[in-house]
Amino acid sequence: MKNKIPAFLLSKPSHAQSFHERGKLRVSSIEKGMKYVSEMITKGFIHVGQETVRGFFQNLDPRLKVLFLVFFVVIVSLKRDIVPEVMIALFMSLMVALSRIDFVRFYGKIVGLTFFFGFLVAFPAAFNVITPGEMIIPVMTLSQAYDFWIYHIPREIGLTRQGIEGVVMLCLRVMNSLTISLLVIHTTPFHKIIKALKVFRVPDTFLLIITLSYKYIFVFAKTVENMYLARKSRLVGMVKNDEARMWIAGRIVFIFRKTMARYDEVFSAMVARGFCEEVKISSFGASNRMDRFSGSFFLLAGIVFLWM
Amino acid sequence: MEPIIRIDNVSYSYYEKIPALSCVNIGLSEGEKFAVIGSNGSGKSTLLKVMNGLLYPPSGKVYFRGEEVTEESLKNRAFLRLFRSSVGYVFQDSDVHLFCPSVFDELMFGPLQLGLSSDEAHERTKGVLEMLEITHLQDRASYMLSGGEKKRVAIGSILTMNPGVLLLDEPMSGLDPKTRSFLIELMIFLNEAGKTLVIATHDLSLINELQCRVAVLSEDHRVEKIGTADEILQDEDLLLKVNLIHEHMHYHGNQAHIHIHSHYLIHRHDKNHEHGEGG
Repeated sequence: MKNKIPAFLLSKPSHAQSFHERGKLRVSSIEKGMKYVSEMITKGFIHVGQETVRGFFQNLDPRLKVLFLVFFVVIVSLKRDIVPEVMIALFMSLMVALSRIDFVRFYGKIVGLTFFFGFLVAFPAAFNVITPGEMIIPVMTLSQAYDFWIYHIPREIGLTRQGIEGVVMLCLRVMNSLTISLLVIHTTPFHKIIKALKVFRVPDTFLLIITLSYKYIFVFAKTVENMYLARKSRLVGMVKNDEARMWIAGRIVFIFRKTMARYDEVFSAMVARGFCEEVKISSFGASNRMDRFSGSFFLLAGIVFLWM
Repeated sequence: MEPIIRIDNVSYSYYEKIPALSCVNIGLSEGEKFAVIGSNGSGKSTLLKVMNGLLYPPSGKVYFRGEEVTEESLKNRAFLRLFRSSVGYVFQDSDVHLFCPSVFDELMFGPLQLGLSSDEAHERTKGVLEMLEITHLQDRASYMLSGGEKKRVAIGSILTMNPGVLLLDEPMSGLDPKTRSFLIELMIFLNEAGKTLVIATHDLSLINELQCRVAVLSEDHRVEKIGTADEILQDEDLLLKVNLIHEHMHYHGNQAHIHIHSHYLIHRHDKNHEHGEGG
């Protein structure tokens, strides 16, 4: 073999080049985006339901948690006053604390999402242009009032009490709904949540498809991440956005072909293990005393919130 | 002599949750053959990715020729060029390693990135295709290759860049005996040509054949021992501890035996491990 080795491989690469001489490299936005999306998916997949600490919610039957989620989200949507929403928020924070979830990280996520999907969306409604009422914070005064089509813009524009209450109410609803959802998601492995949906009589086939799809998203994200690293290890300069776009398009074709092949293999594996067009997913065992006690407690708390 | 790559007290966890490396210290001399061995999940691939500047450890430092390798330092164009042209990494999964439309493009990619002229890149590609005996595959897409062919193309795609350091992640996994001996021979010749080889493997026969210096990673992701191939391979207690060999029962004729077993290297019946009569 030795005589087949090309001469350039037998020569040593030069290391004389100084690396303090030239400027900084910018990473293309497409590359950054691809990296962060795949990291986010894999991170999410690994964090969700994989809490190593054993707290209150982690020990509950997943079916109870799914019922809790639906029951309390409905209550949050039905309430029309700020006080019960605040009480629900306090109750949920107690549940988070009892479940020994990292409080700062958990509420950091919720506050961020509430800001974008609650506050920013609803904030314009706090002005008297949209919500008329008792003005408490004047912002600006126009020379005159304007009317066009169905809109009336008053001379004095500002925040109204009714408008602010509406914004606070919406933010609280978003925050509470997110807290309830994330509390369940963070304390229950995904496949158990899916299986728990059986309490709503969702067909097994449908549940299996969701489970496999979710797993495939993770495998897909890992593949994308590794391909990104493989490419990065052979790149020595910045990649232009159009080159990155071409590469991504090429990779999509590759992943599509690979996926098709993988589907065939997975189906063969299922057939080999006795699959004959009827899916059966294992069920949970009977609920224990702790689940029954917690279920009653949640029911009672829910009735109190509804009554408030 | 200053190590070409130095790993100082490096720890790494995936997603701050799954530990992969714990306080790892390793120094690689230029031109040496070095193997990282350990059972599945011990952190071998992660260590190679850290050496290649693909993962940045939150604690500990990585140096290449005395210069720290960080996300920031790799934004320096000249250092990035020097680093990427000097350290080549062959991924364990060839499917993720190969991303160009054809085998020929795959081998051309590296040299063109390095700024070599098209003629020179072409010359290198042809030479490596011939050496790896894959010239007939040059127009084929990577997904239409067999496992062994993909591995050859993956190695070729790095060799056309002529890096001084080759990081090979499980280079022998899934290869037939002929391809395996071909690659071992290639590695020996490349090392004789001055290339530094770093191999992540749990294949004990490979380190015996290459006679490299070996770092053993334990299941708690620490370096358990660094030594010569002979020192490591003769340390049965260590290999048992890190799960690279195990007790194994099988038949010889009608006689059942239990003995310490490695799939390639240690297969002895000299320790009174006789178990009894078999069927």
